[in-house]
Amino acid sequence: MKTSIIKATALTVAISASYSALGQDFVGWLDYGEGDAQWQDNKQRLQAFGEEFDNAFDMYEYLERQAGGGDQLSWEDMDRPEFDWSGIYTRTKGGLSFDPDIPSDQTTAQLTEAGAAARQEKIDQLAATGGEYDPISDCRPPGHPRWASEPFLHEFIVTPDQTWLVNEMVNDARRVYTDGRAHTAPEDAYPTWNGDTIGFWDDGVLVTHTAYLNAGQYQRGAQPDYSDQVEVVERWRKVNGILLEADFWVFDPVNLTEPWYSRQSWIELANDDTLLRIRYWWCGENQNNDIIILDDGTSQFSEFDFLDGL
Amino acid sequence: MKKKIFTGLVLLSLFSMPGFAHHSGAMFDYSQLIEVTGVVKQFQYTNPHSWLIVDVTNEDGSVTTWGFEAEGPSSLMRAGIRRGDLPPGTPITIRGNPISDGRPAAAWFDAVINGETMNPGNGFAINPADE
Repeated sequence: MKTSIIKATALTVAISASYSALGQDFVGWLDYGEGDAQWQDNKQRLQAFGEEFDNAFDMYEYLERQAGGGDQLSWEDMDRPEFDWSGIYTRTKGGLSFDPDIPSDQTTAQLTEAGAAARQEKIDQLAATGGEYDPISDCRPPGHPRWASEPFLHEFIVTPDQTWLVNEMVNDARRVYTDGRAHTAPEDAYPTWNGDTIGFWDDGVLVTHTAYLNAGQYQRGAQPDYSDQVEVVERWRKVNGILLEADFWVFDPVNLTEPWYSRQSWIELANDDTLLRIRYWWCGENQNNDIIILDDGTSQFSEFDFLDGL
Repeated sequence: MKKKIFTGLVLLSLFSMPGFAHHSGAMFDYSQLIEVTGVVKQFQYTNPHSWLIVDVTNEDGSVTTWGFEAEGPSSLMRAGIRRGDLPPGTPITIRGNPISDGRPAAAWFDAVINGETMNPGNGFAINPADE
């Protein structure tokens, strides 16, 4: 198995690789580099890399070929720093913007006419009423790829055959199968909130493909929607002792004219007193968290348990 | 009931929490900040949101019970606000952005308890682990 040593100064060390193979211009991991201009250049290269592919699975298979099929990990490998994703994390930046580099009222997605119209409808709703109703108000899952832009606490669990990507929010766990299995066969598959994710390891980088997803929105507010044809390629890497980063390429023929690239990241939080831990989420636990949708499409609390007759 | 309306604090209010809640902030009026003084009736330390229930004695002697919404336990712990900090009977002065339908409820902005200020919005500040 190929080996990789995580460097503590990985943020400033570029390990980019670019070469032509199989008719594609492969773009390896690119660090943020020195300053915003460097990152914008790197980001554009990663965006262009995704645009070379007609669909997400073509990209995933290409990356798998580049990796020679990937590395099969063992339990002994789990002692190595690049696979130690233990701890409690949270999203590093981005707020409620799917692309964390820009404010949530903007988007870098290249939208189809239908995608732009759907986004405009959300913007118009906000302008007309000053509010909205977010379906996750009832504790349904955010779904993927929205999963990437949700805050709160996260845990990441790497094992040789599966990696779990956990958000405290609504007890949400994505399972990445790295044991070589294929996706569920199309005749047996059906859409779910987090879809079906397979992956492989390439020199300490986890590469994944997710399919069979429900339609949803990247976030509430002015963030776009995605359809049930959305698929995602991700490339995860522990860049230093406390920072996880992931390249995301989202493909959605209904809403996107080109795949949408973004760099997501999660940072480990100090937790010396061990107070931070994943706690169960259930909207029904507290009556005061019951949210209803109003006729104008906005939100309000239903009945409060602390009021008598009001 | 001691109730003050402050205007012109919209920017401060934006930091108070609405963006990260699991629901839209549509129900709150972030252009207003109200303040009440009373005693803690109950601290509902729950996901996805916690509620601090406060009894406020009005000028005529009647009591109005207010509810102040904050994030869930993990965010409150990151803000240094623990369940045991606010037992029933604790005197408190608390500010929040009121809900728009007139009921006595608000998004908890900050509070002063025994001279100490608690700000739930600090629950999203990042305090990284050591590398």
